[in-house]
Amino acid sequence: MEIRDRIVVIEDDSSILNLLKTLLKANNYDVLVTASGAEALTIVSSHCPDLVILDLGLPDMDGTELLKSLREWSSIPVIVLSARDHEKDKVEALDLGADDYITKPFGTSELLARIRSALRHRRTAIDAGLAMQNGVLHIGSLTIDYNKHRVLKDDRDVGLTQTEFRLVALLGRYAGRVITYDMILREIWGPNLKNDNRILRVNMANIRRKIENHPAEPEFIFTEAGVGYFLREPD
Amino acid sequence: MKKKPVLPEKLKDCLITAGILSVASIICMILRRFSSTDTHVPMLFVLAVLCVSRFTHGYVYGIIASLLAVIGVNYAFTYPYFKFNFTLTGYPLTFLAMLAVSLTVCTMTSRIKAQEIIHLEIETEKMRSNLLRSVSHDIRTPLTSITGNVSAILDNDGKLEKFQIKMLLEDIRREAEWLNRIVENILSITKINSDVAKIRKEQELAEEIASSAVNKFHRRYPDIPVCVSVPDDALLVPMDAVLIEQVLFNLMENAVLHGKTTSHIELRVSVKDNQAVFEVEDDGIGISEDLMLHLFDGTLPIGERGDGSGHNMKIGLSICRSIIEAHSGTIAAENKDEGGSRFYFELPLDSMQYS
Repeated sequence: MEIRDRIVVIEDDSSILNLLKTLLKANNYDVLVTASGAEALTIVSSHCPDLVILDLGLPDMDGTELLKSLREWSSIPVIVLSARDHEKDKVEALDLGADDYITKPFGTSELLARIRSALRHRRTAIDAGLAMQNGVLHIGSLTIDYNKHRVLKDDRDVGLTQTEFRLVALLGRYAGRVITYDMILREIWGPNLKNDNRILRVNMANIRRKIENHPAEPEFIFTEAGVGYFLREPD
Repeated sequence: MKKKPVLPEKLKDCLITAGILSVASIICMILRRFSSTDTHVPMLFVLAVLCVSRFTHGYVYGIIASLLAVIGVNYAFTYPYFKFNFTLTGYPLTFLAMLAVSLTVCTMTSRIKAQEIIHLEIETEKMRSNLLRSVSHDIRTPLTSITGNVSAILDNDGKLEKFQIKMLLEDIRREAEWLNRIVENILSITKINSDVAKIRKEQELAEEIASSAVNKFHRRYPDIPVCVSVPDDALLVPMDAVLIEQVLFNLMENAVLHGKTTSHIELRVSVKDNQAVFEVEDDGIGISEDLMLHLFDGTLPIGERGDGSGHNMKIGLSICRSIIEAHSGTIAAENKDEGGSRFYFELPLDSMQYS
C-alpha cells in the first residue's frame, strides 16, 4: 500500500472546506478536516499530519493564536489561507512561523504547487539539505557558497559586502519562501533597527545590481509588495 | 468633520462668545474716556453679536450673546452706569431693534452654514451613489455570465460536447477572476476613505514595485510582454506598496482590455523635478475623444462607455486616481502620436531622503 501524505485542513467555510477535501483526495492525499481551532490542535497532535492548511479567520479562535500554540511544540509545515485585505495578518503569520500563505480566492493548481513545495521543504530539512551540497547552493547561474562567504554569478565572484552576503545567505536558507521585511531586519541588523526599511531597500538594490542582469526584471530575488522578499527555489 | 470632539467644540464656542463680548466691552470702556455720547455702544455690540453668530455653531451662542449684550449695554455702558434703566426715551426701542437684528443675523448665518453642510452632503452622496451604481453594474455583468454558464452546463446534461463545457467553464473562471479584481479595487478605496486606516507610506524601491506588479500581470496575461525600465540608481519613493502595485496592475490591465490591439506594454520609471514618474504605454487603439474627458472621474453614465466588453474601465481608473491623490500625486493619460495610449502618474519624492 502506498504511503500518502496526510493533510489537516482547518477552515470554517463549508463550501471551501468541501472544495479542499475533494481536491486533495483527488490528488492522493489523506485529508482530515475541522472547522474549529480547538479541535484542530487535538487532531494535529494525535494524527501527526505532514502538512496543515490553516484559514486565519476561524470562529472560535484567532488563526494566528492557533499557529502560535502549534509552533510551541511542532515544526510541521503550515500553509495559511488569507484574504487580500489583510496583509498585516499575512506578515504576522509568516513571522509566527507559517511556511507559506495563499490568498483567497486561489486557483487549485497554485494551491497544489504550494503544498508540494511545502512538503518538499520539510523533506530537504530532514535530509539535512539535499539542495545544499557541501555548503553550496545552486540557483540557475547563481551560486551561494556558504563556506567561503561569497556569491558567484556564472562562476565569477559578484563581490558582495559582508551585509549583502548575509542577506542573500538568509534568503538562500529559505529559498522559495517569502521572508518578511521585519524578519530580515531582525536577523541581519538585530532587534534595534526595526521599521527602518530604508537600509534594507538600499542593500537589496545594491545586491540586485550585482547579481541580476536587469534589476527591474529580476531572475533571482523577488518582491512581495508589502510583505517581504523571496529567492527562487534551487534547481 | 466627524462628531468625535463634542466637548472641545462646545468649550471653543463658549470661549469665542466670551472673548468677542469682552473685546467689545473693553473697546466700549476705552471709548467712554474719549467720547461724551453712548451712541456707538449698541452698534459695537450688534457687531459683536454678529461675529459670535458667525464664528460659533448653532443658534444658542448668538442668542445668548445678544441677550447678554442687551442687558450689558443697558446695565454697564449707558447712563446711568451699572444700573438697569428701561425708562429712558428711545432706549427700549433701540434695544428691541438690536435684539431683532442680532437674532436675524444669527438665524441667517446658521441657515447658510446648514445649507453648506447639506450641499456638501449632497455632493458626497452623489459621488457615492455614482460609484455604487457603477460597482453594482460591474459586479452584475460577470455574475450574469457565471450564473448563465453554470445553468447552461447543469441544465443541458449530456447535450453539450466536452469542448463546449470546457469553454463555458473557462469563461466562468475568467469572470470570477475579474470579479475578484473588482472586489480588490473596492477594498483599496475603503482603505483610503476610512479615517482609521490611513495609507501607510514607506520608502519603497521603484524597481521592486514595478517588477512585482509586472509579475502579477504576467500571471494573468502571459501573452503580453512588458518591457520595464527604471533609473540606474536605486530610486526610493514614499508609498503604500500594495496600493501603487495595484495602480500599475490596473493600468496594464486597462492597456490590454481597452487598448484591444495591444501587443506589448512598456513600463517606465524616471525622476523629474523631485517627482517619481511612472509611465505605462501600450500600442493599442488609444483613447477616444469623449472618453478622454471623463477618464478618471467615474462619472461616465452607464451605457456610454462605447466598449461593450462589459469590463468597465472607469472604476479601475477612478480608483487609481484616488490612490494617487491619497499620495499627493497626479495621474493623467494621453494618446501617443505613433498610436496607442500613455498613462502616467507622479509621486512626490522625499527631498530629504532622496540623494
